[in-house]
Amino acid sequence: MTPAWQLPRYGSLWLLLGFVAAVSPLFSYLPGWLIIVASAAVIWRLLIYRGRVGAPKKLLKVALVILCVAGLLFSFPKPYGLEPMATLLVSAYSLKLLEMKGKRDALITVYLGFFVAIILSLFDQGMFTGLYIVVPVVLLIAGLAGINQSDRHRHHLQPLRTAALMVAQAIPLMLVIFLLLPRLGPLWAVPGLGPSARTGMSDTMSPGDITRLGRSAEIAFRVAFEGEKPVPQQLYWRGLTLSRFKDRQWTHMDGWGYSPGLIQWQEEPDLDWFQDWQRQGRSSHYEITLEPTHEHWLFGLDTPEPASKGVGLMQDFTLVTKEPVNSRRAYRVTSWLDQQKPAIEMSDLRRKIELSIPESSNPQTQAIARQWAVEAGNPKALIQRVLTLFNQRFVYTLSPPPLGRHTVDDFLWQTRTGFCEHFASSFAFFMRAAGIPARVVIGYQGGEWHPDQGYLIVRQYDAHAWTEVWLEEEGWVRVDPTAAVAPERIELGAMDMLQDEDAFFADSPFALARFHSVAWVNSLRMQLDLLEYGWSKWVLAYDDHQQGFLSGLLGNTSYLRMALFMVVAGLVAMIPVFWFSFNRLREPPRHPLDQRYWRFCRVMARHGIHLQTGEAPYDFARRCARVRPADADIIKQFIDAYIGGRFAGKPCEKDRLNQLLKKLHPLGFY
Amino acid sequence: MPKQDSVTLNRNRIFIFPSRAGFAYIALIILLWLVATNYQNNIVFGFAALLGSVFVVAIWHSYMNLSGLQFRIVKAAPTYAGDVAEIVIRVSQSTPRLRDHIALCFAEGREATLSFHGPVIEESLYVKARQRGWLNPGRLRVESSYPLGLFRVWTYILLTSKGVVYPLPIKGHPQLISADGEDQGQGTGNHSGSEDFAGIDNYRLGESRNHIAWKQVARSGRLLSKRFDDPPLSQSWVDWDAFPGLDREARLSRLCAWLLEMSQKPDPFGLRLPGYESQAGEGSAHLAIQLEKLALFEIEEGA
Repeated sequence: MTPAWQLPRYGSLWLLLGFVAAVSPLFSYLPGWLIIVASAAVIWRLLIYRGRVGAPKKLLKVALVILCVAGLLFSFPKPYGLEPMATLLVSAYSLKLLEMKGKRDALITVYLGFFVAIILSLFDQGMFTGLYIVVPVVLLIAGLAGINQSDRHRHHLQPLRTAALMVAQAIPLMLVIFLLLPRLGPLWAVPGLGPSARTGMSDTMSPGDITRLGRSAEIAFRVAFEGEKPVPQQLYWRGLTLSRFKDRQWTHMDGWGYSPGLIQWQEEPDLDWFQDWQRQGRSSHYEITLEPTHEHWLFGLDTPEPASKGVGLMQDFTLVTKEPVNSRRAYRVTSWLDQQKPAIEMSDLRRKIELSIPESSNPQTQAIARQWAVEAGNPKALIQRVLTLFNQRFVYTLSPPPLGRHTVDDFLWQTRTGFCEHFASSFAFFMRAAGIPARVVIGYQGGEWHPDQGYLIVRQYDAHAWTEVWLEEEGWVRVDPTAAVAPERIELGAMDMLQDEDAFFADSPFALARFHSVAWVNSLRMQLDLLEYGWSKWVLAYDDHQQGFLSGLLGNTSYLRMALFMVVAGLVAMIPVFWFSFNRLREPPRHPLDQRYWRFCRVMARHGIHLQTGEAPYDFARRCARVRPADADIIKQFIDAYIGGRFAGKPCEKDRLNQLLKKLHPLGFY
Repeated sequence: MPKQDSVTLNRNRIFIFPSRAGFAYIALIILLWLVATNYQNNIVFGFAALLGSVFVVAIWHSYMNLSGLQFRIVKAAPTYAGDVAEIVIRVSQSTPRLRDHIALCFAEGREATLSFHGPVIEESLYVKARQRGWLNPGRLRVESSYPLGLFRVWTYILLTSKGVVYPLPIKGHPQLISADGEDQGQGTGNHSGSEDFAGIDNYRLGESRNHIAWKQVARSGRLLSKRFDDPPLSQSWVDWDAFPGLDREARLSRLCAWLLEMSQKPDPFGLRLPGYESQAGEGSAHLAIQLEKLALFEIEEGA
């Protein structure tokens, strides 16, 4: 019965713009061939829109499908991961855009677009990303409105107006849902970012890894302290311990050789080893807002104790979480700054692990270490001797010369030039060779204080590696060989120490931090960071604050109270929707003659004659003329001119209607 | 559902339910929520919440597209049974708002789509007229899925139509009835004119004796009568009794055809039905009145 549905012209325009807005920010994360596919779809659609070409030929479609399949196979040998999934989605979206014809196609295109629009936030969760996502949403909803409006419209902007109004009206309700709806933990494991797309630390360290982080000014985490700020020498943000050395590389080792109960979760009853911990000295309470690391381990000041649910402490004092940190995460920690680690007795197996070095590796170092151990007599003297050696003969730089197969030998006895990982790695190796259990610790050191707000910003270039040495009476003791070589690295921070080196944040060429010595740039940079921090804390890591926010608002958070509050808040959030409809702030009539007619109705309303529901213009005018016989003539002229012009196709001048209106109400107030 | 002259749509009448696209949209939101939950990504969570809120806002916008509209049938042109009748519906609103993509459709008609923002719009719909009498187009379905297509908003309204359906004209052969009525009821006369002489034929029982052609009878010895082609003035009555033996509807159909035939001629004509006799008259207005009499013969007032 109904004629075949045709894609309205303007609807397809908004779909196209929505596509561009959703897809273009993704190109920097996805393979290059995707640009070809997406551009082909966009250009062809534009040509259809301009009326230059018809629907794409089968040949073009087949060619693009082949390109997509070949590209996917070529770019991603392993299909499991976020990038291949995103690439597949964008390919499908492009092809669907290209071939859409019917209403169903157009709908699928819009819905795919909604899905593609969120991919960006899986790669990057900055504030600007979050705000930007509203753009494709509005454009895609405009596309949805475009395909559902009648083709009688001749207004380009009508769908956009509808979409913008609806999104604006939806925002209060969205805030209520966002603030109140409880979050569940992950229901199942999802593919994360591939290693190439991550910045930040991994669970291995070979020469050059930390140096690479020194090239980036990206933020690792921010910390808000309660009370006194620690001094720079205490800002050792402990990450992971690396206990296994093989083939130039230090690797994390799982918890073999520890006593039962490897992880003490904050919410669970205390384990034996945790109970034995005699806490002493000064403590510091703070909250860390961590950028996504896609890893299970967290950072905390030496020596950390978890103070948030879902955070655990391993027996090597690594903070861990149950789910990988795929999005920003806030957690609280209490740290014992005077390094009171519980002196847990080390098992034989663990001692063996912490002492093991491959027999054939770095023979020169092994021989010298054994000799010095005998000469020094006790571990402390030996440590002092090695640190003195570092302090006198070594150079600290971000651009060290390459090392050969025996990295420790080359570094200690030849190049003597390196970054923190070289010092930490060779020191730990030296200690092990001398018979003292030692391990490498990776994390961050220092950070930049926000001048007004007093929180600490830790960036990737603050990445650091140091060591821990087992002393029989004291347990694990932190020893930072870098502090011996370049004490200013610890006291002043990486920025002041390294800013003159070419490689220092070379990967962040536009970072404002580069110009931190210019006062106003620095002030701007800090203001932006404050915004971004607020975003992290209240939007991205809101899950971690939700409970506190709600109980602060409601007292106790019983289910009944929650449900009631949600209903009330939801109704309040709907007020703008009704308000817009009841007030006259709605669609003004766009036909110029209709505008005059509505003006006429308002003039008559001032005289106390109100248009009744369903009253036709002519009937209304007749009623007006009866009530106001003095104006009857003008009213009749007006309504005849209006009806003739609007419905009978007679020429009717707006000006004539205006003149008549003026006669009806000389002051011209309508 | 009672018939009404005009119907204003309000929340008592308007039905609203998610369309298939709306259910797909809900599925999309659930999918986004799963992504947000599994990646613990609050931007995606906020995005899903925004799409969900747009869904809620769309309920109101969809409803407002129909709410407050008033419907009235302003014209229903008379038609013959079996033909297609044009019904003009006036849709009006008392506050200016854009109304878009509203489908109007009678049960057995083609769909028309409305889009307007003025105070009033008129739209023609066409329905098949099944039988004579008052035109009964059935329920009018008013439906819209504007603005986002996520909801189907619809209602059925029953409007009084003043349209009239004339009987289907069927050509017949009326029998002669004399002007003074003396032969009324005998029903055996052929309908013959009495003005213009057309020829001589065999006399048939029941023919007026005035028509017997006595001269020819004398010459031939057979009983002959004169034939006249045009009906005489006294015979220009379209008469119910001219079709004995036929049932009501068949008679009305033949009377209808007869009336139409009469209206083509320059002379005045009239209609006689049981209980009704018109003035003799001519012109299309006179014809329309008589046709309407046929249409509404033995049918109750109203519909």
